[in-house]
Amino acid sequence: MGETINGIDVDKLRDLLKEAERNPDLVSKINRWTARVRWLGEGFNFRSYVRNHSFLISEPSELGGPDTSPNAVEYVLSALGACYATGFVLNATKRGVRVRNLEIALEGEIDNILVFLGLSNQGHPGYRRIVAKAYIDAEADEKTIKEIWEETVRTSPVGNTLARQVEIIPEVKIVR
Amino acid sequence: MNISRLFPVTVVGSWPRPKWLLEALRRRREGAISQEEFDAIADEAVLLAVKYQEDAGVDILSDGEQRRDNFYSFIAGKVYGIELKTVAEIVDLVPDKSRFEMLLRSLDVPAYSIRNPVVTSKLRVGPRGIARDEALFLKDHTIRLIKVPLPGPYLLTRSSWVPGISDRYYQSREDLGFEYAKILREEIIALRDLGVFFIQLDEPVLTEVVYGPDQSQQTFMCAALFSRRNPREELEFAVELINETVKGVSGIKTGIHVCRGNWSRREEALLKGDYVPLMPYLAETKVDQLVLEFATPRAGDVETLKDYIGDKELGYGVVNPRTDDVESPQEIISRVNKILRFMDAKKIYLNPDCGFGTFAEAPVNTPKTAFKKLRSMRIAAEELRKLYGEK
Repeated sequence: MGETINGIDVDKLRDLLKEAERNPDLVSKINRWTARVRWLGEGFNFRSYVRNHSFLISEPSELGGPDTSPNAVEYVLSALGACYATGFVLNATKRGVRVRNLEIALEGEIDNILVFLGLSNQGHPGYRRIVAKAYIDAEADEKTIKEIWEETVRTSPVGNTLARQVEIIPEVKIVR
Repeated sequence: MNISRLFPVTVVGSWPRPKWLLEALRRRREGAISQEEFDAIADEAVLLAVKYQEDAGVDILSDGEQRRDNFYSFIAGKVYGIELKTVAEIVDLVPDKSRFEMLLRSLDVPAYSIRNPVVTSKLRVGPRGIARDEALFLKDHTIRLIKVPLPGPYLLTRSSWVPGISDRYYQSREDLGFEYAKILREEIIALRDLGVFFIQLDEPVLTEVVYGPDQSQQTFMCAALFSRRNPREELEFAVELINETVKGVSGIKTGIHVCRGNWSRREEALLKGDYVPLMPYLAETKVDQLVLEFATPRAGDVETLKDYIGDKELGYGVVNPRTDDVESPQEIISRVNKILRFMDAKKIYLNPDCGFGTFAEAPVNTPKTAFKKLRSMRIAAEELRKLYGEK
């Protein structure tokens, strides 16, 4: 077993990166992601199935839900935070920087939630702005930590999904 | 216990720690250095803190709390059964996670940075005592009178009781509180026998009890979020624990320190409100002295003490530890003159409002400014002694 930084085997990581450079099949596999969300038959209760995992999605009581789990827009924030955190650990490990602690606090502001509720046509019901603040304690100087953070933000898949215009293709099929 | 001179100059406890001590504190926490290696470094820092206080003319000095990470969580290293846990570790164990989120956002800190002592088994004081090791070293290195601040029983109970963890070992928060009172009483007696002149029970959390739900989110004490009940019940419980702690104790001066937080230089970030709601309860405590802040306008007017101070002494906060401006001796004298309208000169000690480095990583002043403030207090005390009869 080779050197381990941040709980990641550095040799294995290097091998993975090399493999990704030369193997189009692997790239194709990690370029495409899927999820299936199913209504649980009552109220604002849903379950998402992703590979061999699943998790609940619901609404808080203020929005008439059972408040048994985060709602969809909170998952968007969590996905962004998790993506930044993943990227930071990846980029730090690539540089040999040990991360002691990492936490990302996110806050998103919806442009106009009344559009979602069908009570207004002004603006849109998506996030207008998301603040993602990283708290980092790593074994590197401040300049290096900031460089890793900037690289992380620049290369974040979820960050880019949100910040760029992504083409969404809605389809519907009635199955009785 | 009494001191012969009028207007003794003293401190609340903490002194800004040198950078090399902060590094040593961090390395000790991570287990990179032994307790002995840490002590060797901390001893030097204590000597510096003592020298500053002696040079400024402090009559009753402390060790600057140099060995502590802050004024209460250091107890985790002294008493078995208490572990320092970060909010990140605690949050998974408790149902009400959203209150932590509000706390973290209001303080703008990550969950990994706030450490809280949590009772994780039955309590037992370790061989160094809670502060006996500190007192022994201090006694060897100064001929001045010594003050040792101790976290108060209510503060400890409120901060370290986490439902879901602590209740496996103590049936109720009350049971834990009385255990703390017993432990602290034994410690106070041991400190007295070592020659300590003054012990101060720190109970800053009492101001959190009385100042509203919004402000309560700005607590530095995450576990306290679990134990908010109605203020009257909380204050009665606090008084009961304090009185249980000092029950039967003699031969050492006892005091309680109550302030409104000392973790930020932004005055608006700290709690605000006078001592009025607290005074009926503080008056019921069987300690010799109340160590209160009055230099900051957030603490209201000193007249609020008039009907309640009774026979108690006052550790009078006359300088603000969080400002760059050094209060002049004349300003301090004016403050004292105001309180002499209803208090006996023999009952007044001069204090800063709080420590200068309550939290190791966030000192509220530099040693140079802290020194100048203490020196200003000493010059004021000398003038006051001339004015009020001491030869």
